[in-house]
Amino acid sequence: MGAGFSGLALTSMLAGDGFFSRHLGAAERPASSGSPLAPRPPHFSPRARSVIFLMMNGGPSQVDTFDHKPALERYAGQPLPADKTYINSGGRKVGFLTPAFRPFRPGGQSGLMVSDYFPMVREHADELAVIRSCHTDSHAHGSALVAMNTGKTIIGRPSLGSWAVYGLGTENQDLPGYVVMLDRRGGPISGQPNWSSGFMSAAYSGTLFRPSGDPILDLRGPDHLDRKSQRDQLDLLAALNQGHLDARPGGAELAARIDSYELAYRMQAAAPEAVDLSGESPRTLREYGVGVEPTDEFGRNCLIARRLVERGVRFVQLYSGGGHLEDTWDAHAGIESNHGRHAAEVDRPIAALLTDLKRRGLLDETLVVWGGEFGRMPFSEGRGEPGRNHNPYGFSMWLAGGGVRGGMSYGETDEFGFEAVEDRVHLHDLHATILHLLGLDHELLTYFHQGRDESLTDVFGRVVTDILA
Amino acid sequence: MAGALAVALIWLVSSTEVGASNAFEREVAPVLLSRCVECHHAGEPSGGLDLTTREGLLAGGESGTVVEPGDAEGSYLLARVVDGEMPPPEQGKPRPLGASEADRLRRWIEAGASWPEGRTLDRFERTTDSRAGRDWWSLRPIERPEVPEARRADRVRTPVDAFILAKLDERGWEPSPRADRRTLIRRVTVDLTGLPPTFDQVQAFLDDDRPDAYERLVEGLLASPHYGERWGRHWLDVARYAETSGYERDQLRPNAWKYRDWVIDAFNDDLPFDRFVLEQLAGDELPDRSGRSVIATGFLRLGTWNDEPNDPDEYVYERLEDLVHASSTAFLGMTVKCARCHDHKFDPIRQEDYYRVAAAFWAGFVTPGPRELLGGPTPEALGYEDVLGWTDRARTPPPFFLLRKGDPTRPGPEVGAGPPSMVEVLDRPFREPPEGAETSHRRLQLARWMVDPANPLTARVWANRIWQHHFGEGIVRSPDNFGYTGEPPTHPELLDWLAAELIEGGWSTKRLHRLILHSRTYQQASAPRGREAYREEDPSNLLWWRSDRRRLDAESLRDALLSAGGRLDRHRLGGPSFAPSIPDEALEGLSMKGGAYQASPEAERRRRSVYILAKRGLLHPLMTTFDFMDTTLPCGQRDVTLVPPQALALLNNEFVHEQSTAAAGEILAVDDGDEGRIRRAWRRILARDPGDSEFELARSHLRRQRDRLDGPGAELRAMASLCHVLMNTNEFLYVD
Repeated sequence: MGAGFSGLALTSMLAGDGFFSRHLGAAERPASSGSPLAPRPPHFSPRARSVIFLMMNGGPSQVDTFDHKPALERYAGQPLPADKTYINSGGRKVGFLTPAFRPFRPGGQSGLMVSDYFPMVREHADELAVIRSCHTDSHAHGSALVAMNTGKTIIGRPSLGSWAVYGLGTENQDLPGYVVMLDRRGGPISGQPNWSSGFMSAAYSGTLFRPSGDPILDLRGPDHLDRKSQRDQLDLLAALNQGHLDARPGGAELAARIDSYELAYRMQAAAPEAVDLSGESPRTLREYGVGVEPTDEFGRNCLIARRLVERGVRFVQLYSGGGHLEDTWDAHAGIESNHGRHAAEVDRPIAALLTDLKRRGLLDETLVVWGGEFGRMPFSEGRGEPGRNHNPYGFSMWLAGGGVRGGMSYGETDEFGFEAVEDRVHLHDLHATILHLLGLDHELLTYFHQGRDESLTDVFGRVVTDILA
Repeated sequence: MAGALAVALIWLVSSTEVGASNAFEREVAPVLLSRCVECHHAGEPSGGLDLTTREGLLAGGESGTVVEPGDAEGSYLLARVVDGEMPPPEQGKPRPLGASEADRLRRWIEAGASWPEGRTLDRFERTTDSRAGRDWWSLRPIERPEVPEARRADRVRTPVDAFILAKLDERGWEPSPRADRRTLIRRVTVDLTGLPPTFDQVQAFLDDDRPDAYERLVEGLLASPHYGERWGRHWLDVARYAETSGYERDQLRPNAWKYRDWVIDAFNDDLPFDRFVLEQLAGDELPDRSGRSVIATGFLRLGTWNDEPNDPDEYVYERLEDLVHASSTAFLGMTVKCARCHDHKFDPIRQEDYYRVAAAFWAGFVTPGPRELLGGPTPEALGYEDVLGWTDRARTPPPFFLLRKGDPTRPGPEVGAGPPSMVEVLDRPFREPPEGAETSHRRLQLARWMVDPANPLTARVWANRIWQHHFGEGIVRSPDNFGYTGEPPTHPELLDWLAAELIEGGWSTKRLHRLILHSRTYQQASAPRGREAYREEDPSNLLWWRSDRRRLDAESLRDALLSAGGRLDRHRLGGPSFAPSIPDEALEGLSMKGGAYQASPEAERRRRSVYILAKRGLLHPLMTTFDFMDTTLPCGQRDVTLVPPQALALLNNEFVHEQSTAAAGEILAVDDGDEGRIRRAWRRILARDPGDSEFELARSHLRRQRDRLDGPGAELRAMASLCHVLMNTNEFLYVD
């Protein structure tokens, strides 16, 4: 938190017996009156200004979506070779290698292979950098979600969005800098720690945003208190606070708190405006699938995400899938029944988001990330059991927009799509790359906590430079 | 120049063995220790060169011999140093030896490079400019300092003042005048009980003209059961207290609240702090163990617990880290956990030290067990039903190994339980458990090591925490980190004096409260007139020349709101926690929906905030908005942020409106006109009468709001609106 290092502190450091300079750490702490979310310069020139993270909660299957494995046709019905070892999550039945449930086809100029679960996203193939060699540290949803969001499988660490707003602040003080929109079916497993700021100040934690009405908590008081009555209250409050401040010279935090009421008052208007879609054209609404099932909910969220980044919000995370099992991408019962349902909910909205961002010139400065907390096994859960179990050893994620080279894939899984074997990308590497695109060096972005300079990627992480434009 | 000559003379005259040994210690060892042995030490010596022993020096490294005794210029070691290649640059910054350091090495080699018999340099033995050694300030013995002579004795109420005045005097600074009585009673009441004083309490104190009125006030507050609720909560932060496991199922840990009550009672009873430590770490192993002391071991059960880790055998090491970290942070203020993968980079904590402490907890139920036990022992093993406690699996647990680089797949040498070696005089391994013991007695020995009067950390850390909660900042402003990367004490003698008083006073916390609260220093005004120069030069009040204004913390704020609404149930102490009402919007974050969260009945929800159920997957939004702690890691000091969502919460949150409406209802129950009602609103919420201009503002606000809110209930709503504004004032939220 070097930001609070003032010229004043410097003067006293140079003066006298050095007593004050020995305690610089204290002076460096952010003053309670400074806004923790004020915009701050990045480490180097950023490629993206904002991030939209599309979290496919539950773990989509790579071999059915973005990692084409024709060999599975050949091996269909055989077991995974015995030398491939893994943890059988939940001790489920182990079935046989099973090819993709829907065919893959080339998309765009690049001919990037995408399956028929995502026919509309496929039309954006030339924007996508698909990383096919992702791997992570846990086979269990609870800890894998926390890992994808915070870098570690244990709860209590700041999430990716927290690191982004800690590093860069946010550009619109009338809206939260880090917004999380959940699926109506429920939150992710492990809940709040997924968007927590951990040991950082709570000012950096994600704010839950709802897609209609009052998007955030405490935006409106009781119905009888209209905006005029509230204005009266704020005027009285300001007068009383001013009298209090006058009797207390140097009360910087008191003055800042008086100002914070005006900010809050503006937020009350700005936040509902951000989710008010009445100004969007019928064409836009149609493109996102708003007002039509099964795309209405995710379509609305994607459209709001665009409105948020347009208004300067730094980091937006949208969840597809909520609660447990088949209400998420956790396709134990059957890939077709599960992914068929969830992909149909998100394919059109995601494609519309990419189109819309591009049309508005926002795609260049908005990084879109797609993926789940892990992938799924290339084998079924038994004969006549068309589901797939969790797989942290190899899975696909894709990035698009803000500084990413499109129409490419990076890394490989083995011929079964079971584990990443070439150009492996650990979630730390993914995090390092996302921060890099925001203009942040993952090794320099540190937060001093209990004796250690903590960072999102710990002592790990490498930027996947091959996917940068 | 003269210095260099003197140094050279020392070498010339040091002909005897003893002389050479002294010169080595004085001239050479410091250079080697601070500049060389960080990399060139036994184990994995850089370049194969170990510079910690004579044998290592003479053996040389991968590049061959490094010293030619008697021929400095022909020695490889000196050549590398003179070329500026050693020590190597760090993070791109060169850090060559200074000319005098190089000269000392040159003269030493020239004189034969003698090395005292049997001397092994230990890179943790002394502090260098890049790390703390075992001579680090916080590890030195506590020596009770003389109380300084104050220039003006009339300003000294307790010895605390003498220490503070001594530093102010050096600068010719004046302490701030005493705060007025109204300020004092609010400050000390919130400080000791977390509750604001009522109008009547303030009035009684203003009217009390006995000379010891203030001291009587302090005694009354220390005797109040609310004192334990307030100060117990401070400890619960350090203990990473929560009542659920976290992760997918976020299981409720039945009976965790008994630990919370044990902490509150411990403060109210002024349980000696050494005993407080012993019971929490080893309440099951004490000779006079009881149900209560076993409840205290709940401290070890409070961490997060994943019932479905990726690899259960590896997860054991995460649990051990939680236990090592929680206990070393809470009691020692040292970041021992940093030594899990390698020797500590900044403090004299070897990797082995981490595993010595971890071995004490290894004896417990840390290995995978049935899910229903939530990571703890069976009631049979514990010896109690309905207690969330800790005990060992066996008297002799399986052997425990250091992990190279912290990697569970790379076990190193076996490590026995013991204290970290940083306190030199107490560095001895633990003994076997006594005859007939059923547990390993490792935790008991660890706890006894902590509270040994010769261990300087425990008393310093606790004295500092007490000071911090009275003043907002500690004498050491990094309360959980007394190591190299922490803050140095602003007043080291004062800290040691307090620590000595703590130990000699039988580890009584209340005794320390009195010494601090009775001081002039504590009673200073927070916004003295003038003193712009002080504010400029010392904005963070390192010299304690004033009192610092503080915002109510999350619990005190909620309690104050309930109290102003006339709805606070302050009489029900202890017992199971209550589930606060949480808005539906916030419940959407839960993965389990439908009946997964049930708020407690309204009467329960009027209880003090320390009794709120702390659920890790869903913390109370109003609390987190006002910087409630994170609950996964020990937290010695909460953040104090100022962000717009706080204003939104106080403006719009339903709970706040309930309180303002309740207050308005009670105010309107007596009809003494607008003037009387306004006065009672001020008394109830701000514990004072309004001034003339405030009366005017309030009257016109009521008028306007009545007009706007015309209709049934307009009167109530207008008054509620006024009360609501008062609950939003800075005066309500801050303590001067």
